Amino acid sequence: MVGSVLRAGAWPAVAGISCVAVVVGSCGAAFPPAATVLLPVCFALLAAAAAFTLDEPASLVVDVTPTTPARRTRIRATALLAPLTVGALVMLAAALRGVALPWAAAGLALAGNVLLGFAAACVARTRTGEPGPAAGTAVVLVLMAPSLVPQTARWVRTFPAPGAGGPSSDPVWWAVLAVCVVAIAISASGRTLPRWRASVVIPRHPGARTVMPNQARHRG
Amino acid sequence: MTATLAFGAPEAAVGRATFAALAARETRRFIVNPVFLFAVAIAGWTIWAGRDPAVTDIDTVNSYPAIFLGGFGMMATFWLTRSMRASEPVVGVTPVTRPTRTAALCAVAIVPFACGGVALLGFLHFHPVSGPAYGPFSTSARIAVLAGQIMVPALGGPLLGVALGRWVRFPGAALVLFLILYGWVTLVTILALWHPDSAPVAALRLFAPFAFFTTTGNTADVTAWRGSPWFFLGWQLALCAIAVLVALLRGAEGRVRLRIIRALAIGLMVALILFALAATGGFPHAVTA
Repeated sequence: MVGSVLRAGAWPAVAGISCVAVVVGSCGAAFPPAATVLLPVCFALLAAAAAFTLDEPASLVVDVTPTTPARRTRIRATALLAPLTVGALVMLAAALRGVALPWAAAGLALAGNVLLGFAAACVARTRTGEPGPAAGTAVVLVLMAPSLVPQTARWVRTFPAPGAGGPSSDPVWWAVLAVCVVAIAISASGRTLPRWRASVVIPRHPGARTVMPNQARHRG
Repeated sequence: MTATLAFGAPEAAVGRATFAALAARETRRFIVNPVFLFAVAIAGWTIWAGRDPAVTDIDTVNSYPAIFLGGFGMMATFWLTRSMRASEPVVGVTPVTRPTRTAALCAVAIVPFACGGVALLGFLHFHPVSGPAYGPFSTSARIAVLAGQIMVPALGGPLLGVALGRWVRFPGAALVLFLILYGWVTLVTILALWHPDSAPVAALRLFAPFAFFTTTGNTADVTAWRGSPWFFLGWQLALCAIAVLVALLRGAEGRVRLRIIRALAIGLMVALILFALAATGGFPHAVTA
């Protein structure tokens, strides 16, 4: 079961975006003056990669199998190891290159980025089988907002800057982590089929009893 | 002969009418796209928020229309192009060819380009071209810098989105490309800050769809970097033409395909020449006003 659920994941998307993140992060590590700009881009890409971990092209079939959403989400969550490992390696390379950053805060930001992407995907997965593109885009735009619109950096910061004034990113990420854990728990436990899908299975022959998807799931 | 001519003219007129109808339909779909509406709103707000006359360097303000109209516009047209993918089996059997439909999608870029024009006028209203924030550039070069930083990215981004949507299946491609371009422009700009007189660094800085031309550094004086703004504008327009041709190439057949490939080769050559001229032209070294 675990193997088949993992095998069906959108691995090309997760791996591809993680590879791009490696390239961007490596540039940040290689050119320390650019690290404070490129590492947030790298982390945002890893958040996008995390958002693709729940993509399920065969969701019409998978959603009515006896495997609960919570179990599927737990299994797919192991795919988060890929972006987390990539982020850790990039941070290690940057530290070895002498980039001066508050590494504990950067680690927290990495975990927060990846979990935010995954939480957005979990919430969107209750509505669609492939939440990756929409959730990834939304998360990246939110994460990049302080870089794209500097006025927002006065109030909120998503990446720790070395010795700079302004708000710290730690409170933001602790709050985001808490909210993400709650959002994942709620969406993985009590989610139902997407609203826009047919909720009734059409009977195949005259006189056949209408079967609700939930009943079909319980029958296994 | 007469009969042939008489038959050909109405056919062309029908083709034009079909294209116009398709372009109008795609434009309507694009204008109501929430991403594009957000981009227009935020680009307008950033121009208005940057109206402070105490701005010492235009580069602190003028990149936002490129980010929002160009970058977000790219994402919007990418999704617009991809949205028809599911209905391709039905649309594909209509008498309209795929290059015609692609051309209609490309015509949509007129809207963000016009928005870029409005943004440029707004920018000029708040920061007159004779101001000191433009550095030592001549008046015509200042106009070229602004056009290359505000208007042309607003055209090129959406065209790139159409090309990407036609060729790439991955649904997050526009987002990833946006981040790559953002990271690249940032990286080469920081390199240029460290090596302002280096010719290779200047070439790297200009090897992008968007480039900064000035900096204030730690002083109040504006420094102009190497490179010709006019030739850079030409390089950007050549990139726009290449994006259109690459988009049109998808699904093109027969003589049309050959023509597009030939035009693409010419476009690539012109782009290379313009890029070389942009990198070698302009000031031979960084100049501080």
